[in-house]
Amino acid sequence: MSDWITITIDGRQIQAKDGELLTDAARRAGIDIPVFCSHPKLDPLGACRMCLVEQETPRGKLLITACTTPVREGAVFHVSSERAVDARQGTLELILINHPLDCPICDKGGECPLQDQTLKHGPGKSHFWEEKQHKAKNYPLSDLVLLDQERCIICWRCIRYLQEWEDKPQLGLFHRGGETVIDKFPGTELNAYTSGNVIDLCPVGALTNRLARFSYRPWELEKTPSICTHCGQGCNLRIDSRSHRVRRHVARENPAVNDEWLCDKGRFADGISFSADRLTVPLVRKDGRLQPATWEEALSRVVEGLKEVVDRSGPQAVGALASAKVSNEANYLLGKFMRGVLGSNNIDYREGSGLLADPRGLPALADVHSADLIVLIGCDPAEEMPVLANFIKRASIRRSVPLLIIHARRPELARYPGVFLNPAPGEEIPLFDALTRATLEARMEAGAEAIPDWLSAETPPAAFPAEAVQEAARLLLNAEKPFIAYGMDYAWGFGARGILAALVNWVAAAGHTERLGFLHIQANAQGAGDVGALPHQLPGRRPLNDEKARAELEALWQSTIPAQPGLGYSGMIDAAANGLLKAMYVMAADPVGEKPAHAEALKQLSFLVVQELFLTETAKLADVVLPAASYAETSGTFTNTERRVQRAPQAVRPLGKSAPDWLILMHLARRFAPDKQNAWNTTSPEAVFAEITRAVPQYRDMSWENLGEEGRQWPWDALSVSRELQAHNGGLLNEPDDEYPFRLVVGNQLWDGGTIFAATPQMAHLGIQAARLHPDDAASLGLAAGDAIEIRSQAGAIQTTLHLDPNIKPGTIFVPFSLRDAPVGTLFDSRGPRTVVAVSKVEAPVAAPA
Amino acid sequence: MSYRPILTARIGKVDPTSLDDYVAHGGFQALKRALALGPDAIIDIVTQANVLGRGGAAFPAGIKWKAVSTEPGPKYVVANADESEPGTFKDRIIMEGDPFSLVEGVIIASYAVGAHQAYIYIRGEYPLAITRVQNAVDACYQAGMLGERILDRRYPLDIEVRRGAGAYICGEETALFESIEGKRGFPRIKPPFPTQVGLFGRPTLINNVETLINALPLVQHGPDWFRTMGPLDSPGPKLYCLSGRIRRPGLVEAPMGTTLYDLIYNYGGGVTGSGELGGVLLGGAAGTFVTADDLDVFMDFGSLREIDAALGSGVVIVFDTSVDMKAVLRRIARFFAHESCGKCYPCQLGTQRQLEIIERLAADRLRPGDLQLLSEVGQTMTDASICGLGQTAHSAIRTALKRFDFDPSTGHFARFGPPSGVQEALA
Repeated sequence: MSDWITITIDGRQIQAKDGELLTDAARRAGIDIPVFCSHPKLDPLGACRMCLVEQETPRGKLLITACTTPVREGAVFHVSSERAVDARQGTLELILINHPLDCPICDKGGECPLQDQTLKHGPGKSHFWEEKQHKAKNYPLSDLVLLDQERCIICWRCIRYLQEWEDKPQLGLFHRGGETVIDKFPGTELNAYTSGNVIDLCPVGALTNRLARFSYRPWELEKTPSICTHCGQGCNLRIDSRSHRVRRHVARENPAVNDEWLCDKGRFADGISFSADRLTVPLVRKDGRLQPATWEEALSRVVEGLKEVVDRSGPQAVGALASAKVSNEANYLLGKFMRGVLGSNNIDYREGSGLLADPRGLPALADVHSADLIVLIGCDPAEEMPVLANFIKRASIRRSVPLLIIHARRPELARYPGVFLNPAPGEEIPLFDALTRATLEARMEAGAEAIPDWLSAETPPAAFPAEAVQEAARLLLNAEKPFIAYGMDYAWGFGARGILAALVNWVAAAGHTERLGFLHIQANAQGAGDVGALPHQLPGRRPLNDEKARAELEALWQSTIPAQPGLGYSGMIDAAANGLLKAMYVMAADPVGEKPAHAEALKQLSFLVVQELFLTETAKLADVVLPAASYAETSGTFTNTERRVQRAPQAVRPLGKSAPDWLILMHLARRFAPDKQNAWNTTSPEAVFAEITRAVPQYRDMSWENLGEEGRQWPWDALSVSRELQAHNGGLLNEPDDEYPFRLVVGNQLWDGGTIFAATPQMAHLGIQAARLHPDDAASLGLAAGDAIEIRSQAGAIQTTLHLDPNIKPGTIFVPFSLRDAPVGTLFDSRGPRTVVAVSKVEAPVAAPA
Repeated sequence: MSYRPILTARIGKVDPTSLDDYVAHGGFQALKRALALGPDAIIDIVTQANVLGRGGAAFPAGIKWKAVSTEPGPKYVVANADESEPGTFKDRIIMEGDPFSLVEGVIIASYAVGAHQAYIYIRGEYPLAITRVQNAVDACYQAGMLGERILDRRYPLDIEVRRGAGAYICGEETALFESIEGKRGFPRIKPPFPTQVGLFGRPTLINNVETLINALPLVQHGPDWFRTMGPLDSPGPKLYCLSGRIRRPGLVEAPMGTTLYDLIYNYGGGVTGSGELGGVLLGGAAGTFVTADDLDVFMDFGSLREIDAALGSGVVIVFDTSVDMKAVLRRIARFFAHESCGKCYPCQLGTQRQLEIIERLAADRLRPGDLQLLSEVGQTMTDASICGLGQTAHSAIRTALKRFDFDPSTGHFARFGPPSGVQEALA
């Protein structure tokens, strides 16, 4: 199909690829053939007839649709012939007959293909005078997408997108002939997680963004090419703003990352850039209360507070929490401040040293398009990365790629052909050992090495049918280009080290360790580590004792870097609790929101600074709260889960007196250490990135400019990670007993109860804010759907609502992260989420959310 | 008139519910012969006989059979029995009167092209045909002639009867596939053609009922015999459906290329009503009008094409001069506006606009330029629609305006008298 051929359009010879569609060949040659239903990312349909052209055939000149016609050597087409022009004008005239032409009040006006095509190809005047048909207007398909059936020209793009990409055919055509309309199916709603893409695809103003509508005219918008910072995929988007307010996000094409799609969280949840709850002035604690202050006061107070602790207890008494939610620049400067100015390695972030992520993340997201097997281990892209999930579905549907899924719940993607294994927490290591053994046995049949003694010869737990284990082992062993991703569920907390070792054994036995990658959930979990927000590693993920690295950084920072490894995230909180840590600097992190008991630890501190967008539970305890600028209000870079460094340029000015993280840290360092001002003299985030490229070897060849609009990946082999078969220890785990009969399963759901949705009130009610039990377990407890329940572990208790879900494994209860008013962290002890809980009914209703 | 019916020979004589009686009347002799010949020879015969598709599109059956036979399996055979064209009832009479012949035709076609699964898709409004054909299929299974073997030959074949749900569009072959697949019937773009990508995305042979039963006498008597009937470019026997203002309406089997005069005056016994022929609609709502001037035309695909008319499915609807032709056209325009599936714009809105203009015509309220507009809308539909529905939705109206001497100054068709009070004859 890639052979170049010659075809003729309007007498002009052009080069085309054999078999490509005429519309694509013409577009490349700069020949304009108008289309509506045709779209490069959707299957050809040929419904709108806008692209009619004449083709010379043995049967004479025939009118054909360019969008459905593959070109062959020597084919001759006429785009501008009278008959072709007449046919297109006739079609367009018909399309306009019932279109309301309400362009002045239409969101699409100004960026509307129908307007543009009418201007270029329209008949000039209409022959028709009949009353236009009237259909439903302002018709909500969901809380996010509105339909105007009168504007619709029935191009099927929305129908096809949902079918072909999300595999959720939620829209269809109803009625016939001139009464044909697009609609939802009766009793259903449009709730696909990437439904908003139909708005971008709609060639008229029929599908509109319910949150953004009527808030702009397209030509007034300032358009900033940026990225989404809601998850580790780093989908490319465009921030459209007007008068310094974000008006909407639209998808931006990047074939390597998101093709041209966004999920609905990335598209619609833009409220944090203008939420009325944002912090807009610094707050300083006076007389026991946080009170508005000037930046001068606030920064002086921070310098004073930190100096006092350093002077009295040494730099090791100060710790910093960095964040996977903010830019490389912010994380880099916080690390540089801690190490280079204060002299402490106490810096970490939630997804940092405590998470057993591969330091290189994932080999490449785009691998999913060519993989011959997709393996998902303890991750759930349908909830965590919906755009990636769509790529996975497409691989299954279009290329019959099997999915091998290992998860504590039955995730949506388990509906596709392949193997699904469902270990409860605690059953992972026996499962991986069984898979390793099955793999080695298969290899031994082919004359390979013996099975190591330490690998248990026990049969796998009865929960896993032997055939399924054999089939899973066979799939991975025989795959040539598997896409293998493991996720947070198996990389965090007590026992994770043993699970990961057992997993690596299996992947190593199958010979695919270089394809095993980690799926980061947070936007900059990869980057924060790359730039050094880790207690045991310097920027560039280099060990603290790397003399060459130390020398480079000490020269760059004009300081001496402490040699003693710092405390990690939970280590710092423990140290605060027992008085070893006296001061903390918290940037875009909320340990108290995650686990209210952390408040007791932070209250022991003599000085707490929180740099944040909102007055979080942690910020409420602070001595100084510094208002930070959001993703849209400052420039920065983010590194996604495949090590792609991407730009997020400033789109609007910071809200109120909030300030970008980098600028706050720059001022703070210059005040704290006037002698180091030469090392702290960058005046823009772009300049901070330039410094990062000197501090982080993997970023050496990058510059703000050459990141371009599609970002740059640092090479997978720039870091080597040892992945060998090795003996491992199974993590001990509390077994369920009469008092605590359920194993706790945690995880992410797209519609969570967190800040992002709280700041976008139209979305705050989406999703199910509840814990989930298997219906049989609920029945045996006498619980019904909607009951208020208490979930109790040895560490604490939360109250929430019960949702029944057959996808939950019996004997487990699923409690999502960021559950509104019920932080699951309450149930964890210091060993993390692998624990057992009791579930009981609460007679008094759960307090309504404030 | 010395022609002896071939396709309909058994009808009225055989018990349509009895396999034994079918066999007693020569049933399955053709299949026996086909199995002896083998697939290649059958396809050669169908090709040499130049059987043109009887559903209306006149595509050479041999080319389809050959194309499907060379494609890799799994593949399918589909009998298109969604006979929805107004005025067409030939397949119904076959299915009600001699259902086993259809089953036999489907088996021969499946064996010839190498299909192991076939469908018979029957119009939902044909309950008796559905019952009879289903009964015939069941009887064949019970007799061990379907399933693992056909007749006594080991050859897996399953036949499933599917019923339509009332949509005209589902007679269009690709919309019919969508319907069998459980989806709403919308036509697909072609190419790819069904012979390569058809039902469930697989190579599919889809033929009209009448086309399939032509295979029975054909394999028994050979292509030379077949070509003794009708013109060489479209030979064979043909079923004609006579209706309207005609003395003996009904199904007529005659050689392809019988004259229109013969059909109306000899087979049909002449015109009723005013007794004077006003016009004839050939091919149904999607067909063409001709007048008394055209009575000498040979009723075969090629001859009719030469005079800007079409045989279609063999429909002959006769209108005498007392008919309100404007009401007839309004009925036809309504039919298309109602049945347009809505997939493509030219048809979806063109049928609507055509109806509006025809309604003005029928109400004597034509506006200046309306006829020109009607012609342009019609041209757009004909040129730009996806499938046959839109491409032919203007055909009857166009030929009526062309041949019936419409006088815009009086608003009347000169060939038709003043409205006779039975204007809604077809409404």
